Amino acid sequence: MGGSTVSGTVTAEPAAGPWTGARLAALLLAGDATEDCLSFGRPVQRGELRTLVEEQAAALRAAGLGAGGVLAIQLPPSLAFVATLLAGWSLDARTVLLDHRLTETETGRALDRVGAQVVVTGVDVRAGRLRGYAEATAVAAPRPGGRPADSDHVLVQLSSGSTGASKVIARTAADLAAELDRYAALTAPAYPGRGERMVVLASVVHVLGLVGGLLRGLAAGVPLAFAERLTGDGILAAVAADPRPTTVLGVPFHAELLVAAAETAPGNLRGAIVAGELVRPGLPEAFRARLGVPLGTMYGMTEVGVIATDLDGTRHPALLPTLPVRLVDGELQVRRDSSPYLGLSDPTRWADGWLHTRDAADLDPGTGAVTIRGRLDSQVSIGGLKVDLTEVEQTLGALPGVAEVVVLHDADSGIEAYLALGPGGDPAAVEAAIVRELAAFKRPRRLRILDALPRTATNKVVRDLAALRRAAARTQETTDEH
Amino acid sequence: MTPLGREDVVAMLARFGDRDPADVPEELGSLELTWLVDQVERRYGVLLDLDDDVFAGMSTVTGAVAVLNESVGASDA
Repeated sequence: MGGSTVSGTVTAEPAAGPWTGARLAALLLAGDATEDCLSFGRPVQRGELRTLVEEQAAALRAAGLGAGGVLAIQLPPSLAFVATLLAGWSLDARTVLLDHRLTETETGRALDRVGAQVVVTGVDVRAGRLRGYAEATAVAAPRPGGRPADSDHVLVQLSSGSTGASKVIARTAADLAAELDRYAALTAPAYPGRGERMVVLASVVHVLGLVGGLLRGLAAGVPLAFAERLTGDGILAAVAADPRPTTVLGVPFHAELLVAAAETAPGNLRGAIVAGELVRPGLPEAFRARLGVPLGTMYGMTEVGVIATDLDGTRHPALLPTLPVRLVDGELQVRRDSSPYLGLSDPTRWADGWLHTRDAADLDPGTGAVTIRGRLDSQVSIGGLKVDLTEVEQTLGALPGVAEVVVLHDADSGIEAYLALGPGGDPAAVEAAIVRELAAFKRPRRLRILDALPRTATNKVVRDLAALRRAAARTQETTDEH
Repeated sequence: MTPLGREDVVAMLARFGDRDPADVPEELGSLELTWLVDQVERRYGVLLDLDDDVFAGMSTVTGAVAVLNESVGASDA
């Protein structure tokens, strides 16, 4: 069913044998050269994509990348990103995906940890907050001090870690192929398949957009369109641009935009599927009432991909698992034969073939359906992007001049930080350091500097949002009086 | 064009997540900004081509009111 690659040369020949990056790339690239497979403002056919991948593979080889090497990609979602990812796999290299919004400090730390030998970044980048994709030219550069991969993992992603350091999450080609099989096995309703198309709003740099969108679309012959503008009208325009039955893949925020925008839904809209964070109560009903089609939800993790689905919204908020799951002390655990974490042995995250999701859930013993209730740790989701509050708090706490800090999250107001400075601490310098150290989506939306953080009778720093807000208001009043 | 008032902006933001206007914070996050631009575009029938520098000036309700009035006025002209 797939094509094969030999040293980055892509053919349409069948591939077999053990799963490798090259075999995965071959599976994804195989097919009729004239078939539309992607649309970034203009249709891209498989033949053109294969040529782009071969060109990019040549550039990576020229930069010193080979089989078993480690490639880091830091590109915004773009055609250049897709070609570089597939080129890395076609060379049987490990491919590390870094969010393009990370700061220089975060990027440098990540590259050291993963031992990248070649780094691809973008030049002539045309991006924007409201754009659904970027235009960029990929540039590969060797990185001295990198080291070859020491395992057969082909995909590495970094996730916000509750111990302060990021987790390095790794997946093998076999694991990704197994996830594609799970998508293919979904029935009644099925996941979008051949003859249909998807409008992908979720970032292809993260697991939902990457596997549920990009890899699934390429593997199953489902053309993927990337919306030019991520507004309600922009999404509807992307749906209406092609008459084939179309499913929108995004995060719950995209469903909110559609509910607000749609006076009449395009006739070819089959529905939307969202994941990445909990859907607010009432949204699926509002979506169906307004657009006349279902809002489905999925639940997954970077570590294993899709775990449970409710593609037509009939079970909401319950989901049917696609992997064996169990509940232990209220926590959902997912079957995974080996640890997905590189360089970390933490039995509280993975042990004895079970991955700890750190999500509270209910499990219906009759149907096997799960209902996700929320996080058991300090991770929050900002528009589908995972942010660990402990990481933010530790980063702020380590800044020069900061004496103490508490970071909390509120559904309405986002991440809030309350901090007190030591002698000589300079608020402007702290704010500048935060911009240097933390990617924008992790930064506190509300930052309040107090003379001292409120404490309990036992001298512990208060971690109650209302109390901290009151203390901040008192500080503000005092400042105003002077 | 009728200028966009603070109350208009807060009312638009309140529709995001079905909130009470009193619960709309002064500091705006990335999703709220996208929502707001979407709403303003629909109300005035314009396309606002805002770059990231312009977005940076919209991190509060006050800033957003000023920037949006200027941008909608410019796109009308």
